[in-house]
Amino acid sequence: MEQVSAAPQGGRYDIRGLAEPDATAPKNAVVSGSTAEFDAAELSTRQVNLELRRLVYGEGVTEVTVHNPGAKHSLSVGLLARCRVRIDGSLGYFGCGLIDGPEIHVTGRVGWSVAENMMSGVVVVDKNAGSLTGAALRGGDLVIRGHVGARTGIDQKGGTIVVGGNAGTLTGFMMQRGRQIICGDAGNGMGDSMYDGAIYVGGKVASLGVDCVEAELTETDREFIDRKCAIYRLDQPATFRKFVCGKKLWNYDNLEPNERKLVL
Amino acid sequence: MTTPNGESSAHNLGQSRIFTPEVIDDIHTKSELGRYRMRGFSMFKPIPHWDELMFLPGTLTRFVIEGYREKCDTRTVLGGRFAKRPLELDIPVYITGMSFGALSLEAKMALAKGASMAGTATCSGEGGMIPPERDLSTKWYYQVIQSRYGFNPHHLMLADGVEFFIGQGCKVGLGGHLMGQKVTEQVAEMRSLPPGIDQRSPARHPDWLGPDDLSLKIQEVREATDYQVPIQLKLGAARVYDDVRMAAKCGPDVIYLDGAEGGTGAGPHIATEETGVPLMSAIPEARRALEDVGLADDIDLVVAGGIRNGADVAKCLALGASAIAIGHSALMALNCNKEIPGVTDYEGTIGVEAGKCYHCHTGRCPVGVATQDPELRKRLEVDQAAERVYNFLHTLTLEVQMLARACGKTDVHSLEPEDLCALTTEAAAMARVPLAGTSYVPGVSEDRTLAEMKELLAKHVADTGNQGGANV
Repeated sequence: MEQVSAAPQGGRYDIRGLAEPDATAPKNAVVSGSTAEFDAAELSTRQVNLELRRLVYGEGVTEVTVHNPGAKHSLSVGLLARCRVRIDGSLGYFGCGLIDGPEIHVTGRVGWSVAENMMSGVVVVDKNAGSLTGAALRGGDLVIRGHVGARTGIDQKGGTIVVGGNAGTLTGFMMQRGRQIICGDAGNGMGDSMYDGAIYVGGKVASLGVDCVEAELTETDREFIDRKCAIYRLDQPATFRKFVCGKKLWNYDNLEPNERKLVL
Repeated sequence: MTTPNGESSAHNLGQSRIFTPEVIDDIHTKSELGRYRMRGFSMFKPIPHWDELMFLPGTLTRFVIEGYREKCDTRTVLGGRFAKRPLELDIPVYITGMSFGALSLEAKMALAKGASMAGTATCSGEGGMIPPERDLSTKWYYQVIQSRYGFNPHHLMLADGVEFFIGQGCKVGLGGHLMGQKVTEQVAEMRSLPPGIDQRSPARHPDWLGPDDLSLKIQEVREATDYQVPIQLKLGAARVYDDVRMAAKCGPDVIYLDGAEGGTGAGPHIATEETGVPLMSAIPEARRALEDVGLADDIDLVVAGGIRNGADVAKCLALGASAIAIGHSALMALNCNKEIPGVTDYEGTIGVEAGKCYHCHTGRCPVGVATQDPELRKRLEVDQAAERVYNFLHTLTLEVQMLARACGKTDVHSLEPEDLCALTTEAAAMARVPLAGTSYVPGVSEDRTLAEMKELLAKHVADTGNQGGANV
């Protein structure tokens, strides 16, 4: 149970204990020049975020280590500055969401929707990630060294998602732009209803989703994959296959009568 | 089944009540198209509406307030629950979210400017922030919508309120639609999409599925925005009681309910006609839900859908809304469906006369409102249109004040269900106000009588039991 800093009182109390309108930064970080570290074990979500923001925006710290994050939700969100954050442990849902600029290293696992809507920056997760990884990602690199759950890169609008292990069902669902590199296998319905972008898969693909087709892997693609895997020191399989949008759903009205059954 | 007055009940050969000429035409059209019909505008089929409610102003039972001479407050505050900066509006009406893409740049700018003149808010809608709209809006909602088109955390930080779009009344359960003709290079780039494609937005959010995850998503956005601004959940009115209870437990500051009468810039005709419930029935259900979870005084209720005049607004306030959002009627203030001599030719370009146009989805809007065509856009002059929007918002407010004063209120938010009666039993049942001239509220009256009977019976059983009567 998370600590709630505001005393429960009438409408100011959120039934799930998630709202903390009156919390203040705990100021428990040890600052050493441009680096800092603090222990989050006894802190609430709000206090961790307030402390992070105080250090990055207020104290001019550029490298922060957070110990014992305790898989809390919504940690390290909304950071809009260049900085380095090391999360020494695991995150819950919505970790590192709505960020622009930071380089974040999570040494443990993450829950759903990590780095959702990231604009730029880097998020590296050493172990596994849950579903909806990199939802609506717009830029930057999101690297999961382990496996990921379902609907990775749903609504992805840019950036690159790199997965060292396997990906679940509906990977790249409704993807619009950007790239995904899946070193392992991908589940059923991959690339379903994708508008654009590319998914590279090193392992087996269980099945393709609606309007997702295989394309030729070019030298440029190969170079891109090599470069990304080298940057993040990922072992990559010998070969990759490339999957893109079939573009049949772009203008449904233009389809021939027999093609319209595509969506059934 | 009732037969409308004066209508023949004879079963005439060749005059089907089921397969009317319009239905036959609809089938012919679909047989050609091979898909559902798209359209803009609001609802076309009859639906119980605000016309079926009347006000019961003060006479001798309560005294009335003088117009102009005595104040009738219209100030409206939304989201004071957790937000450090609640949204403060001068009037109880604001402009709802309509996307740049569905609307032209000029339309978005005119709405923003007109709303600011009236001291009220606008909303980004889908498709991201356009800087001119933000610049012209003194109060501005930023929408977190399923597609997240153009969603940018920097823009989020500029918002005065954050609205989670979960559904809209006109087509509950569906995502947005924008047909290829309106997906220009600029619109496509803002949405990270290829230009010219038919864009059917997701109906579900990418990063949460149900209320448990939504609670956490709200927490995420609150953390990102530092609890500065209200969080509002916009729901299409359907299973209102259960939806509002669940929404309330997700921890928002404001809940927005959109009735089935609401409009759209593009939607499948069948969905716009066949989904949702009338706003009149939704507001009492929402109030009951908020009361049952103990948050009636803490979570504000915004409502929208088919609002045309100050009486509609006043009726919403009386049933328990804190504020009313308008969309389609604000577009009409911009000139939607108005023939401008020497400029527009509705019959020639659209094929229908002004007043009957529902072709927003085609992007051929003759008055430059629902279009991206550079030539058509020139027909909407921003400053003049903004003044019309302001005039309309101001008139709505005057009308609300007039009715509120007549009902003896010095604050429009003091209007209450007791100020209303219904002209039909259906309206009485939905709005939970008595049928005119009676004390009968369908459903409520019966429940009350049943409760009285149960109480009397229980008393009778207890009394006879105390007397030691046998075989009771």
